[in-house]
This record gives sequence, structure tokens and C-alpha cells, in this order.
Amino acid sequence: MKLNERSVAHYATCDTPPDKTGFLFKKGERNTAYHRRWFVLKGNMLFYFEERDSREPIGVIVLEGCTVELCESSEEFAFAIKFDCAKARVYKMAAENQAAMESWVKALSRASFDYMRLVVKELERQLEEIQEAASFGGAGNGGLQGKPKSSRRNQVARSRSGASSSSSSSSSLSSSSNAPPMAVPFSAQKSLQEEVQLMAGCSKENGVAWSKPPANLANGFVEVASSCAVWEGCGDSGNVIGYGADGMRAPPVPPRRRGASLESPVSPGTGCFSKLHDWYGREVEELRVQWLQSQ
Amino acid sequence: MRFNEKELVFLSRQPPEMAAELGMRGPKKGDVVKKRLVKLIVNFLFYFRTDEEEPIGALLLEQCVVTKVDSQTFSIAFLDEAERKYLFECNTEEQCKEWMDSITKASYEFMRKSLIFYRTEIHKLTGKDPLEQYGISEETRFQVSNGAQFMHRDRHTSSL
Repeated sequence: MKLNERSVAHYATCDTPPDKTGFLFKKGERNTAYHRRWFVLKGNMLFYFEERDSREPIGVIVLEGCTVELCESSEEFAFAIKFDCAKARVYKMAAENQAAMESWVKALSRASFDYMRLVVKELERQLEEIQEAASFGGAGNGGLQGKPKSSRRNQVARSRSGASSSSSSSSSLSSSSNAPPMAVPFSAQKSLQEEVQLMAGCSKENGVAWSKPPANLANGFVEVASSCAVWEGCGDSGNVIGYGADGMRAPPVPPRRRGASLESPVSPGTGCFSKLHDWYGREVEELRVQWLQSQ
Repeated sequence: MRFNEKELVFLSRQPPEMAAELGMRGPKKGDVVKKRLVKLIVNFLFYFRTDEEEPIGALLLEQCVVTKVDSQTFSIAFLDEAERKYLFECNTEEQCKEWMDSITKASYEFMRKSLIFYRTEIHKLTGKDPLEQYGISEETRFQVSNGAQFMHRDRHTSSL
């Protein structure tokens, strides 16, 4: 299978901050000795270099769908990166001391894109709740009864798991009791399960961690929600698109139209990061232009 | 550069965020548009010959630029080789916009920025660091600026 290797290698050494770096011993595949390598963790990619100052990585381990465990080994401070697929390789590693081992195990087990996405969704949801409470004068959730927005919370589940049978936009509106609880990634990623447990404790409504409607809800529904709240969440900020059981995406729905209040830069009370991100980008650009003209 | 291909192929079989048949053209001179099943899964774009189980290839979507070429066509290029563009022909303008939007947001870096934003906003409104309860507030990748610790205005209201 092809991969855009040059660009992947570039990502390893470009100026985005690495999440963790350090020396680790890695057990070779054919040569089963442990080799000391310089490791750079960026996102869900674990790169390894021959030396700390090598310009290009020797290789990369994509950390999606893996578990990280302590393991039995002739080496001290050993741990293993395991994948759930058939005939998957086990990457045996060893750190230089107990603290380093613990630190790496922690970092690697939370390195997946899925984990990051969960955290982001959870914070997004929390921000929604806080802003709602604020805009309704602190009436709390009680004040939201009877508003379409609260019914949205009860209905919506994000059906990402392959086991889900909801395959069309209409079925995603059905009660969330049909949806799988807590979209857990495909592999039995133990450490992620742990995190999920933590987050599920804070979530409401049938174990669904977030209440962001998929982008393929009918526009009519969206209009109602937007008329009752000054603020509304951003439904298309995440990658939540319904898909059929065969993996093909449901017919695309036009992006939600937003009320004028969300266009205002003066009310950054919007929970939609991507909207703000775009807006700030424009603001910065305008300021730049102004500054340049004043020179 | 070595990579764990088996595991990546396994990833390509997971439920995608988006999947569609698009026309795709590679970046090399002489490449032509071919019909491909394109799947977006986490920060990877996999492309298959229709009805084939194994992907022909994968694109890691970090450090990439998505550009509109015309109403139904967009391109992806990577910062290290901006002239090499992968072209994607969609079936409608709507589909083109959706793919462009999704791919732009499909990077770990984008999520990191989102997270920092939400964390900051929540802290502004509540005085609390929302990551504290998960025990992950100290992680480098969640810091407001490169490696700097998450700062807050009212030291007395929180134990950051």
C-alpha cells in the first residue's frame, strides 16, 4: 500500500511541537536485539530515528487502534504496543527507567486521534452547556425543558460504531436507545475505554457522550433550534457524517445556515471553534492589511 | 521509511467518517483521473479501486493544504512539496465543499487547536480547567502555547 511517505517524514521533523520525545529501546523485527532509537511522538504517529539529530526517521508506527501494555521481557522497564488486527506485529519497547516507562505508556495509550476527538467533543459539549446556562440567566437545565434544544439532546446519538444499524438520516433521529452507547473505536483499546468511562460519568442521556447532531439532520429541525437560542453549537465542526452499513455516505445535506448573531465577531460566545477560527483568520488578515497600508 | 502497513490496512477497513466514489488524479506528471473509492478515517485518506478490499494507498492529512480548483473539484497538497497536488473530482458542488471541510478538519493539529480553544473558553467562563478532572491537564499537547503551562487569570480561584 502506498503512503505519502515524504510528507509523513516531513511531519516528523517540521516545526509543530512534538507531544513527547526521548530515547527508547526498540526490539528489532528480524534482529531481535533491542536497539536504542530516538523517538518522537506527534499526534497518533510515533516516529523513530537512528540518532537524536538524524534528519529523517527510520520509521513510524501509526498508533490508531492500539493498546499499550507492560510486558514480560529480558529488558527492564519494558512495555509493548499491540494492535488488534490479525497477525499484527507487537512492538516491544524498553525505557531507561521506571518514570520514563510510565510516562511513555501514558502518552502512547492516549495518542490516538479517536481519543483526542473524544476529549474535544466532550469539551465542546461542556462549553455548550455552560453557555446555555449563562444565556438563560443561570436557570440551569430546568429552564431548558420544553425547548426544542433539549429534545435534540435526547434524540441524537452519533453512530460511528460499525455495529450500528442506523444507516440513513431518518434513523439517526430515532431514540438514542437504538444507538450504541458511547461510540467506542473499533479495537478494544483498553486505555481508551478507561477514558471513556471517565467521560461517560459526566455525560447524560443514555450514555451518549455528546449531543451534537449529525450534519444530516433535516434542515427544518435545525431552523427550530436556531430560533430558540442565541447561541447554537456547530453541527459540522466535527467529522460527523452519517454513513450506511456498506460504508457509503448518506446523501450530503447542505451545511447548516447560521443566524446573524453567530457572524458577529463581537460575540465570541459561539461554541463553534472552526467558525471562530475562520473568523479570527479573517480579522488577522484585515489587521495585517491595515497595518501594511499604514506603513 | 518503514511503517506498520498491516495495521494501516486494518484501519482502512474501519467505519469511515466519509466515503464516496470520486475521481482522483495523482500528483505525478502524466497521471490521469481515475474513479476511486475514497474514505476519510481519522487523519488518513484511503483510496481504493472500487470493490477492492485493500486500499491502493493512504494519505496522512497533516500539514496539508486543501484548495478549491473549480466548483466540483479540490486538490490536496502537502506543505513540503506544494507543487505536487492530488486532485479530487466530486459529483456536486455540495459534496466538494463537504469533503474540503472535512479534510481540513481531519488533522490532529486542528483538533489540538480546538481543544486548546475550548479549554481556554471554559476556563474563562468557569475559572476551572476542564481537563483537570481527567488528569490530563499537564500534557504538552494540551498546553495553550508551545510547551508553556496553561495559565489562568485568577490564581486564587483555581489550583492551576
